[in-house]
Amino acid sequence: MKSVIVFVEHESGAIRRIGLEMCTRGADVARELGVPSAAVVLGAGASKAAEQLKGTPIDAIYVGEDNALDRHLNDPAVDAVEALLRELGPTLALFPLTNLGKDIAARIGVRFGAGVITDATDISVKDGSAWVQSPKFGGSVISTVGFKNSEYGVITCRANSFIARQEPGNGEIKQLASPAGKTYAVTVEEKVAQEAGKLGVEEAGIVVSGGRGLGGPEHFDIIEALADALGGAVGASRAAVDAGWIAHSHQVGQTGKTVSPQLYIAVGISGAIQHKVGMRSAGTIIAINKDPNAPIFEFSDLGVVGDLFQIVPELTTLVKERRANA
Amino acid sequence: MKIVVTVKQVPDTNAEKTFDPVTKRLNRSSIENVLNPFDEYAIEEALRIKEAQGADTTVTILTMAPASATDVVRKALGMGADNAVLLSDDAIPGSDTMATAYALAQALKHVGFDLILSGTQSTDAICSVVPAAIAEHLNIPCVTYVKKLTVENNAIDAQRETESGFVRVRAPLPALVSVTKAINEPRYPTLKGIMGAKKKEIQTPSIADIGADPARLGEAGSKTVVESFAPVGARQKGQVVSVSDAKEGAKQILDFLIAKKVV
Ligand SMILES: Cc1cc2nc3c(=O)[nH]c(=O)nc-3n(C[C@H](O)[C@H](O)[C@H](O)COP(=O)(O)OP(=O)(O)OC[C@H]3O[C@@H](n4cnc5c(N)ncnc54)[C@H](O)[C@@H]3O)c2cc1C
Ligand SMILES: Nc1ncnc2c1ncn2[C@@H]1O[C@H](COP(=O)(O)O)[C@@H](O)[C@H]1O
Repeated sequence: MKSVIVFVEHESGAIRRIGLEMCTRGADVARELGVPSAAVVLGAGASKAAEQLKGTPIDAIYVGEDNALDRHLNDPAVDAVEALLRELGPTLALFPLTNLGKDIAARIGVRFGAGVITDATDISVKDGSAWVQSPKFGGSVISTVGFKNSEYGVITCRANSFIARQEPGNGEIKQLASPAGKTYAVTVEEKVAQEAGKLGVEEAGIVVSGGRGLGGPEHFDIIEALADALGGAVGASRAAVDAGWIAHSHQVGQTGKTVSPQLYIAVGISGAIQHKVGMRSAGTIIAINKDPNAPIFEFSDLGVVGDLFQIVPELTTLVKERRANA
Repeated sequence: MKIVVTVKQVPDTNAEKTFDPVTKRLNRSSIENVLNPFDEYAIEEALRIKEAQGADTTVTILTMAPASATDVVRKALGMGADNAVLLSDDAIPGSDTMATAYALAQALKHVGFDLILSGTQSTDAICSVVPAAIAEHLNIPCVTYVKKLTVENNAIDAQRETESGFVRVRAPLPALVSVTKAINEPRYPTLKGIMGAKKKEIQTPSIADIGADPARLGEAGSKTVVESFAPVGARQKGQVVSVSDAKEGAKQILDFLIAKKVV
């Protein structure tokens, strides 16, 4: 490997937090491998995003703002990353576990005939090569996977796995050349930001999830209020999603998102295995449920048996008070 | 129009998993296997498109799995797919996701397609890379994480989920689309469907038939190597408190959060 590169995702210049986590770990891995590290940010707002990356230990920041990047889905971004990797030579490329990140990772893997290791929760260097830890089979096992040759390697990374560190690196910003004369078939017609500026469940350090126990869509208010007070995101069980109370993008579990926040609060959720596999790697789990025999209590660090409609608003008030006095 | 749906056989989430200490592979024979739940949405969407498009549209199921995976294939046929391709060859076991995508892409070239539908992820590995990798091999438009799909005039119009909402995109056919759970509600196979499925054709081409290079498959053809698997210990049951009044319950949680330095 001659370099480690981190693909950083942003929204109109605002970096997804996982990007800061990956820039820290990516730079550390690069140092251990004895090679330079770089970040790449693409699309409208990339220059603004690049400024924020100066606060991370990354050595160089590549910026691409060609119009095609926003008018077409993924294809121009894949081309831009490919061109950069060809220029840099054998590279370890890190991508976030987002819809965009996963797609580009897969396609870069094919273009370079590289190994692709998905869902990293840790990356370490041993004998000059990178090894990746990744949970498999609903988090019941952790695999350690490596690359067979030291040419190109691709890794997708799970949020909340690495700790972001403020430590200005060289922070040198370089502009990527626009691809000349390329046409792309997949056109973006419309962008609808329903929850712009809100943390997604996968990314948030704290997730407060509501289940069937909420009894109706209107009651997600109390979940949202607690999540806001804690600075976290709103999650949900499949029962709540299937009932149409909240969008599928909030669902945690086997057929939803897999999350590893520092804190997970399950409210009115029974704790079925399909829910558990999506949140069992949370740092701390707290459950509120009126049924003392609910399975969720079997794997929670703190379980409170009681009525969620009374406990949650009360807790929100206490958290707000504590925050106000802090 | 020819629609091909890629489906995967996965171990049941509830099943206890064991690993062969030598090959480091999952002991797949000892556990119950099911159709990857995500792929049911892709099958359902294919059937809906077929119903809307009329008789000359066909739905083919494609899976790469041990020869014993016919149950999973029959389920898909029972839902209403027309026929299936089961790619099973001694060269395949041990293939990682990228080798899998290569083999599936070769099979797709062999079978022919206008539209490829996939699930967004498999429940066993949650890699979410196979669909995009297939599209890259085939050099066709790739639209993943789709929650609403319209096929019209040899093109697709799709709503693709993003972390903060969705984007609406258009692409010409042939194309690959992976669909999310939000797109539909999969049907159950009917008794008539299950009976009818027994008569449907399941092709079993070899690696040579689809023109795949065996050197790019199996463990030897994979670019990643699994060093080890470690079981994750069960989470310990913590403290469970019954509270008579809400204030007390909320206070208990707050104290816990303070102790954990969350607030
Ligand atoms: C293939 C497949 C995939 C699946 N994927 C997922 C997935 O991704 N995510 C997921 O979550 N599930 C998934 N499921 C569904 C899963 O099996 C459960 O059905 C689901 O998690 C139950 O949701 P719940 O806990 O909200 O509802 P329930 O099981 O009905 O639990 C509601 C809980 O709320 C409590 N409660 C009710 N009222 C109150 C109150 N006033 N105060 C306090 N507590 C109260 C009850 O005691 C109960 O424990 C999947 C299932 C299958 C078959
Ligand atoms: N062995 C396989 N056979 C057929 N399709 C597969 C196979 N593996 C993955 N897929 C398809 O790729 C999707 C994503 O799987 P994965 O990338 O493994 O998470 C699945 O939902 C399937 O549609």
